[in-house]
Amino acid sequence: MDFALTPDQDSLLSAIDKLATQFATKPADFHGFALVGRDLDKELDEGQYYDIALVPELGPLSAAMAVERLARLPCTAEIALSMLVRPQLSGEWPRPLALVEYGRPGRFVATAKTVLVIDGEGIGIVQPSPAAIEPAPSLFAYPMGRLKEGVATTRLSNGEAANIRKWLRIALAAETSGLLQAAIASSVEHLSLRKQFGRPLGTFQALRHRMAECAVLAGGVRWLALKAAGTADEADAALAALHAQESATRVVYDVHQMFAAMGMTLEHPLHLWTYRLKALLSELGGRGGQASAVAQHCFGSAPV
Amino acid sequence: MDFNWDVEQQAFRSTVRGFLAANLPADWESLAHGPGSEVQSTFSKRFCGELAKAGLLVPHWPKRWGGRDADPWTAFILAEEMWEAGEPRGGQYMNVNWIGPTLMRFGSEQQQARYIPPMARGETIWCQGFSEPEAGSDLASLRTRAAKHETSYRISGQKIWTSYAGHADTCFLLARTAPGRDGISIFLVPMDTPGITVRQIPSLIGEGDIHEVFLDEVEVPGGALLGAEGQAWEISRTALSLERVGIPRFALAAKTLNRAVAALRRSGRFGHGAIEQAARARAACEAARLYSYSIIDQRVHGIPTGPEASAARYATVMAERLVGEFVVEHAPEALSDAGDPMLKVHHQRAVVAGIASGAAEIQLNLIATELLRLPREPR
Repeated sequence: MDFALTPDQDSLLSAIDKLATQFATKPADFHGFALVGRDLDKELDEGQYYDIALVPELGPLSAAMAVERLARLPCTAEIALSMLVRPQLSGEWPRPLALVEYGRPGRFVATAKTVLVIDGEGIGIVQPSPAAIEPAPSLFAYPMGRLKEGVATTRLSNGEAANIRKWLRIALAAETSGLLQAAIASSVEHLSLRKQFGRPLGTFQALRHRMAECAVLAGGVRWLALKAAGTADEADAALAALHAQESATRVVYDVHQMFAAMGMTLEHPLHLWTYRLKALLSELGGRGGQASAVAQHCFGSAPV
Repeated sequence: MDFNWDVEQQAFRSTVRGFLAANLPADWESLAHGPGSEVQSTFSKRFCGELAKAGLLVPHWPKRWGGRDADPWTAFILAEEMWEAGEPRGGQYMNVNWIGPTLMRFGSEQQQARYIPPMARGETIWCQGFSEPEAGSDLASLRTRAAKHETSYRISGQKIWTSYAGHADTCFLLARTAPGRDGISIFLVPMDTPGITVRQIPSLIGEGDIHEVFLDEVEVPGGALLGAEGQAWEISRTALSLERVGIPRFALAAKTLNRAVAALRRSGRFGHGAIEQAARARAACEAARLYSYSIIDQRVHGIPTGPEASAARYATVMAERLVGEFVVEHAPEALSDAGDPMLKVHHQRAVVAGIASGAAEIQLNLIATELLRLPREPR
């Protein structure tokens, strides 16, 4: 047990932080729902960051740290599945990756080169033709897309499907962790600057305690996500995803309360984190789905 | 970063488990109610004596004081196993966690020689005289007074909600030697000193756990003062930083949850509602565990404990609450002495999770100010 970063992890995170600096603020003239970081994606691709998990000195735990750091940015790119799930697939599958569950629109589907399809217990995989995918207008702050009906997929073996489902959970938890931290940091900044009744909002205990609870939840999500990436254990993955969705449910509501009307605007970047979190809340069966996985892997219950 | 235990750590945990299996009586789980009761206090002295002989009471203490300079992980693995078993050390966990180390740092040679060896042998019980009727979270407002008379002090006042006082040999007592926050001092007071009266307060936690302690012109020599006059704030901050993640409450919470779930499964009652609630509680336990580990890791690397300790503590409070609520809703029979006795033990102890060693709301204030860096509240 050692929570200190290795020198390789330290170097990696420094490089990522440096790379991320140029993407750290929302362009003033952007008033949309999803701020797509095409240049960020390009830089990560060119720098071979999507293959971090395959580097022996780094591995999936370092990849999870990178996912978490990059999720804090206001812009988004298909990072988590490429860094954490793609290395687990047998065979060569091009990125970006996307996930479609029960025929619903999914994140990055319209630009995906590889789509994972969950329908019941099994997982299918396909490299869709451009005609098979289309964008879906959405309130979520990810570019959402749809896989058209009738697209044939190759079914993963039960063993591979279980492994992919586990890494999807870890990716979800790592991404959620970064989004939570960014949403909380943005709220803290607002509460420190915004004055009402003659003093900063952050001096009111009712708000301070809510933010402190949010911070504790977010910290827990981070540790669980990193542990799951480090151990690759089914139970750890299920616990991380559940705590992520449980915490995000609470934090999304609370941080919007902190901003009041200001947080309803598309001028402020808050939604770029919270409306990504909202998109993650339903994935992989939502809290009920993660709870079933926890019951199976921690309490020995039959799959529900 | 590595989330796996090394071979030595795994071996140490096995040793502790082996010791518990060999030394806890068969009816231990029925005895574990009331950590300050006469039965448990007597048992804890015998048990801690055996722990000491096996080198498992204070392994993290310096060799000079009966330890073997083991690292903070060793101490925490030991604490996890003890708390998960229902804390057979009783109130002596405080000696091991913070009273001994605090005396090592701030005590005089005479104080160290008098008090530390009996702790290392598992022979002595301490209580902490902090709270007063008018000084709970606002500890700085305490009124118990220590007046200097030539070379001694006469202490008068009242302490309340004092754990283990009924069977304690010595009190780690806070008293005022001058006005203001910087006028508080610490005295090491033998509980058989004339003028001390202890009254047990019946409590939700169990028999013998909390007390009122009345001090009426209790005369102690000048050598009973720990550190210097007015140094209490500094000393108790050190003590509380050790205590804040001192009890691995998540360990018993997780075990309780596992047992409650196992019973539900056996009776075919582990359905959707219970599954979701149990899973949330389990995730909260594991989050608290990792938070606590992160603080231990800071200690290992010599990083001063910061506000993260408050976050770890609050995560533990959240976990305790979820497990407690799960048992009340899905295994209520345990609170009526039916079923698994450890579920009742957990419920009694979980009551204090958000209160003892600093209220949870105080932790939230600390997190808001020191971790999030929100502006301070006006005073």
